[in-house]
Amino acid sequence: MKMLHAETFQPRDATDVRDFVRESASHRAPLRISAGGSWLDAGYPVTPCTVLDISALRGIVEYNPGDLTLTAGSGTTLAEIEAATAEHGQWLPLDPFGDGRSTLGATLATASSGPLAASSGLPRDIALGVEFVDGTGATARGGGRVVKNVAGFDLVRLLVGSWGSLGVITEATVRLRARPECDVTFALAAPAGAESLAQLLRAFRDAPLAALGAELVDHRLAQRLGVGDRALVLARLAGNADSVAAQRGTLQSLGDVMPVESTVWGRLRTCEPQGTWTLRVSRRPSALAELWQVAASTTATLETAGLHATIERGIVRLIAQAPHAPSLAAITTTLATAGTVVGERLPPGCWTVLVAPVDRLSLGVRKAFDPQALLNPGILGGAA
Amino acid sequence: MFSESLGAALTEIVGARQVLTRPSELLVYAMDGLPGYRKHPGVAVFPRTRQEVIDVVRLLAKEHVPFVPRGAGTGLSGGALASGTVLLGLNRLNHVLSVDAENRLAVVEPGVVNVHLTKAVAAHGLHYAPDPSSQAACTIGGNVAENAGGPHCLKYGVTLNHVAALSVVLPDGEIVSLGSADGERPGYDFVGAFVGSEGCFGVALDATVRLSRNPQAVRTLLADFPTTDSAARATSAIIAAGILPAALEMMDNATIRAVEASIYAAGYPVDAAAVLLIEVDGLAAGLDADATKIHAICRECGARDVRVARDESERTKLWQGRKKAFGAMGRVSSHLVVQDAVIPRTKLPEVLREITRIGVEQRLRVCNVFHAGDGNLHPNIPYNANDPDESARVQVAMGAIMRVCVEAGGTVTGEHGIGLDKLEYMSLIFSDESMDAMCRLRSVFDPERRSNPGKVIPVHACREWAMSPAAR
Repeated sequence: MKMLHAETFQPRDATDVRDFVRESASHRAPLRISAGGSWLDAGYPVTPCTVLDISALRGIVEYNPGDLTLTAGSGTTLAEIEAATAEHGQWLPLDPFGDGRSTLGATLATASSGPLAASSGLPRDIALGVEFVDGTGATARGGGRVVKNVAGFDLVRLLVGSWGSLGVITEATVRLRARPECDVTFALAAPAGAESLAQLLRAFRDAPLAALGAELVDHRLAQRLGVGDRALVLARLAGNADSVAAQRGTLQSLGDVMPVESTVWGRLRTCEPQGTWTLRVSRRPSALAELWQVAASTTATLETAGLHATIERGIVRLIAQAPHAPSLAAITTTLATAGTVVGERLPPGCWTVLVAPVDRLSLGVRKAFDPQALLNPGILGGAA
Repeated sequence: MFSESLGAALTEIVGARQVLTRPSELLVYAMDGLPGYRKHPGVAVFPRTRQEVIDVVRLLAKEHVPFVPRGAGTGLSGGALASGTVLLGLNRLNHVLSVDAENRLAVVEPGVVNVHLTKAVAAHGLHYAPDPSSQAACTIGGNVAENAGGPHCLKYGVTLNHVAALSVVLPDGEIVSLGSADGERPGYDFVGAFVGSEGCFGVALDATVRLSRNPQAVRTLLADFPTTDSAARATSAIIAAGILPAALEMMDNATIRAVEASIYAAGYPVDAAAVLLIEVDGLAAGLDADATKIHAICRECGARDVRVARDESERTKLWQGRKKAFGAMGRVSSHLVVQDAVIPRTKLPEVLREITRIGVEQRLRVCNVFHAGDGNLHPNIPYNANDPDESARVQVAMGAIMRVCVEAGGTVTGEHGIGLDKLEYMSLIFSDESMDAMCRLRSVFDPERRSNPGKVIPVHACREWAMSPAAR
């Protein structure tokens, strides 16, 4: 393995990772898992420690387009996977916020998703297998390389979203989808009043649409995305030509519709420069309009902030710029009374507002897989 | 394991009529959907309320008595068999507790029968998507334990993808809530860990499940192929063309003949080497274009004929043949084993050829009826369990088929579970270190390993486990 400088180790392969974790475990030396580096500022603040940089665990291990599955090292970037699969008219339907440098390992470990989750599922639904090294240095594999698998207890779901606190993911297999024949985006004007917005969202969810994604975007974000200066619903319609034509008609029956370049989704993904604060707040989808109003009024004075919401999942996401940090603790507190807040990137003072999982099962799995709490110490708050 | 005093204590909780102790009464609980295994529980107890379940589990915790949760007993891996221990029947907790049609959620007790849930929400234009063939009998609790699948899981996903939250009584009697139906829940994905844990992690008291909107329209096609190879190739070609059918099922000639000779006769062509039953659903617009494309692909791959069900009654008939195929094989022989391996879809032609070869070699008739779109095979072998020679050949064939599937990059079970039946195959796909990690996860939920002991992980793989009282 390669030592970059005093505090970063860069293993060449999974065996290196195992050896290094074992070595660290014998010295009770904590480790910060990193690859692309784009997630290092996310999650609860981690106690500073030696960085285990797994970016060299990179490359597609197996990809047979006919099976719509792909196995890759965890340091493989989403951009690499996108390029390899696009050639065959396929994609990995995961579009977490950030750029294409995000790695497969980090996306799964943080269970990060974007607008596509509304139709294609969360990382937990897309991951088929993982190989990882736990905090004791044991190498384990969960799941497999096929699309359906119930053999053994589910280590895949356990590792996905565990933020590295149960093991270092070294390789993963994911399910791919064929890219739709047509993929077009329309903007639907969103009314300002709470009741009329609730009506629109209800009608949208009930309408016969097969949207790949549908996000409610506030006026501030709309401006930044270059799609006007009013709140709107961005609807990404997909299917064959007949289906999309019919869906467009359905959308027009709901309000004023205008076509938007599909590149808007890429802009939404990457409109957060380094140092941006982000959090999500959610309830049942039927409560979205209400939640949206709370989020909008709480953040109204933050001119450079922005809100968007995944209509199908009932999740509002706040994007706030660095200078907003002083107001964020109060905002987080208010939002936490309106729904469940999940912090992505927050200034230190905000984390104390959130409730970290400290239940018996959370503490128990951490102890079972990383008894010395060496991996990403502190990243899950209470449990870790 | 079972004592008079325990029986009396159970009776105190649930009443005398809900406790079975006589061997004659327990006989029916000595088997589940897996033939060839018989395990006699020491006692069977059937709580009728949530509180009774909790009280029973707490009593068993206090007495350190192992137990086996059981739903309808339709499982195909022996997961609901209890050997001398307490069998905890959950099928009397059969209420749909609430339906939130706007958010497409329902809260159900574990004993709700799968298809009853779909019927209960039909008025809202909704249904519960996972549809195992046993859906007329199997329970949601059992589905959660096994992470059950079904034909329509190709498009809609398995049980795991449809459970939002669970209330669970852990084996030590603590009640925990996993997941959330009210937005996201930060932390580990314990719903994901619990679904498919085969009753080893505790007992679900209720499940909040996601419902799916009924499709605007459905097209069901039956394609008739002269070889299994061509049917397998068509399967890959359809999916490669970017179409995601709701279901894509294959039946080979032996299965077709069994179905057509039974009361479930569906009008399948008895001279076909294989048929594909293909369904597309969703928005009405565009569906005919998909059906036309599928038609053309099947023809290109060599289909002799492709027909589209004209109406709902023809569709029902085509599906009944498929869903009752296992039942139809009951006419062929007294016993039937069914496997559940999953292989990469593109390996279907060669693996099916190998399965045929193994059948011939062992002088057995192998009937294939399976979820081709997922690569989830169900080779069925009808046999007579009272014939030791034939039974031995069946065992040899099963092992050989499993190895072929694993060598092709597959797994040993896609939806039926490991249970008792597939314990011996676990080490084909998982290292001891991986199985040890699984044991550690189980111990977080059930440190005494009393809930469904002896299932899923072979005892040798976990030293700590092998030494536990429950395993002895």
